[in-house]
Amino acid sequence: MEVPRDLLGSLGDIAKFCWRVLVEVFEGRTIKFFGETLRQAGILIIGSGLVIWGLAFILGLSICGVEAAYFNRSIGAPAYAGWFGAWCDLREAMPYAFGYMMSAKVGTGLVAEIGAMRINEEIDALDVMGISSLTFLCSTRLLAAWVVLPFMYIIAVGVGFFATHLAIVEQIGEVSSGGYSLIFWMFQNPPDLFFSTIKGMAMATVIVLVGCYYGYTASGGPVGVGTATAKSMVLNTVLVHILGMLGTQIFWGTNPRAPIGG
Amino acid sequence: MVAGVYPVVRRAYLPVKNGLEQTGEMMILTGKTLVSAIRPPHPYGTEFVQQFMFVLRLCWFPLLISTVAICYGAPGLQAGNALVIFGALDRLGGFFVLASIREIGPNVTAIVVAGVGGTAITADLGARKIREELDALQVLGVDPVKNLVVPRFLALMIITGLFNIFAVMFGLFGGVLATITFDAPLGPFFATLLSNASTTDLWGSVLKTTLFGAIIAIVSCYKGMTASGGAEGVGRAVNQGVVIEFLAIFAFNYVFTQTLLATHPEISVIK
Repeated sequence: MEVPRDLLGSLGDIAKFCWRVLVEVFEGRTIKFFGETLRQAGILIIGSGLVIWGLAFILGLSICGVEAAYFNRSIGAPAYAGWFGAWCDLREAMPYAFGYMMSAKVGTGLVAEIGAMRINEEIDALDVMGISSLTFLCSTRLLAAWVVLPFMYIIAVGVGFFATHLAIVEQIGEVSSGGYSLIFWMFQNPPDLFFSTIKGMAMATVIVLVGCYYGYTASGGPVGVGTATAKSMVLNTVLVHILGMLGTQIFWGTNPRAPIGG
Repeated sequence: MVAGVYPVVRRAYLPVKNGLEQTGEMMILTGKTLVSAIRPPHPYGTEFVQQFMFVLRLCWFPLLISTVAICYGAPGLQAGNALVIFGALDRLGGFFVLASIREIGPNVTAIVVAGVGGTAITADLGARKIREELDALQVLGVDPVKNLVVPRFLALMIITGLFNIFAVMFGLFGGVLATITFDAPLGPFFATLLSNASTTDLWGSVLKTTLFGAIIAIVSCYKGMTASGGAEGVGRAVNQGVVIEFLAIFAFNYVFTQTLLATHPEISVIK
């Protein structure tokens, strides 16, 4: 009974913390620290952009590219590999790639950074100086994520599309470039891109909030920061998968919006 | 002109050099681990069992939730939708051989073991490094590679391979849930699943995850044992470790999967 009770307790703490951070953002208190928000946005682009796009590239290459080519060859329709690639990239693989790399790079990075501030008593110093540490450290980071990440997500989707094209057309090469593009773009529609971005952003929001929570409440010296970093990764891994499933269920459910069929 | 370019080149070169150096050191650690795992004496039995149980306790529940969720959503609902258009939902079982056994099962196992078990190992070894316990061990004449890295390496390799079976089973359970969502009978799902599944797929999947386990163990141990001081040290080590693990896992997956598919054409024939 001990473990479920502790788990529920800490989930409640996290929810309370997230609510406070969200309220601070929506009440516009981050306007005061707009410079800090922009600085955090810049750190996100420079520090995390390349690895996120790198993972998107590898996933687009392997799962959506090579598997698509072989699967469509096995059902006797190699020319239709673009269908598999289009749905796999946009609807499933890119949100997961984004969620995995966000939780690994940004989520644990936030815990390490804010946790070190907590251990060095810099957060207490901020509060003593009359600056709301929650607003300055957590709300600005959340706002920065919301400002920058939609664009980074769409670039990741583009990188994934490019990698899938590379694998199906150039590497396996059982479909012509034009035939691939015809099917690939026929199976795209604007709402899909929008829903996919919402899926990615939901993951990003949760990851930033979880990272801020574990960093903000770290205790027990450098070792405590390490443990908190590991713990945040556990929660993020589970939440990314649950959000991915909920997104698929809500946005696509049993209505795939395909350009074929009756 | 040249004077202006030089600092930029240096700034780009330094991280590359750093990365190459770290890769080399991880390779050396891999070699040392393999040699000291085989060469007697073998004092790591107890630690091996402890680490095995530690990772098992940490990972089984996150892995269960993750595999059911991803296999219900991605291959279950999306591929099910496509198959419903063609009026061939019974083929979902055959698709799950590709989805669950070949790709999602191994990859989600690796993601969860890296994110949950690997981070815990890095944090644990990093804490010992910061408290100078590793130095103390060396002074006492105890080899940290033999007594700390080897048991973790073997435990993670074996447990990741075994967890893969667990993940594949719960992935198939996600497929069953998706079939029920479409109001379809379960008989055809299992019929196409069992007629398309091959032994090659299963051993490929288990071999792949075993090697994923080796990658996770080496990176986690390396990052933990080289954690530097300061309040941020251990946290940064965990952060860098998990990023390297994710990239390495998927890069290795790309190479392995397409080698398996290209050398065993019989597994991608629909039966």
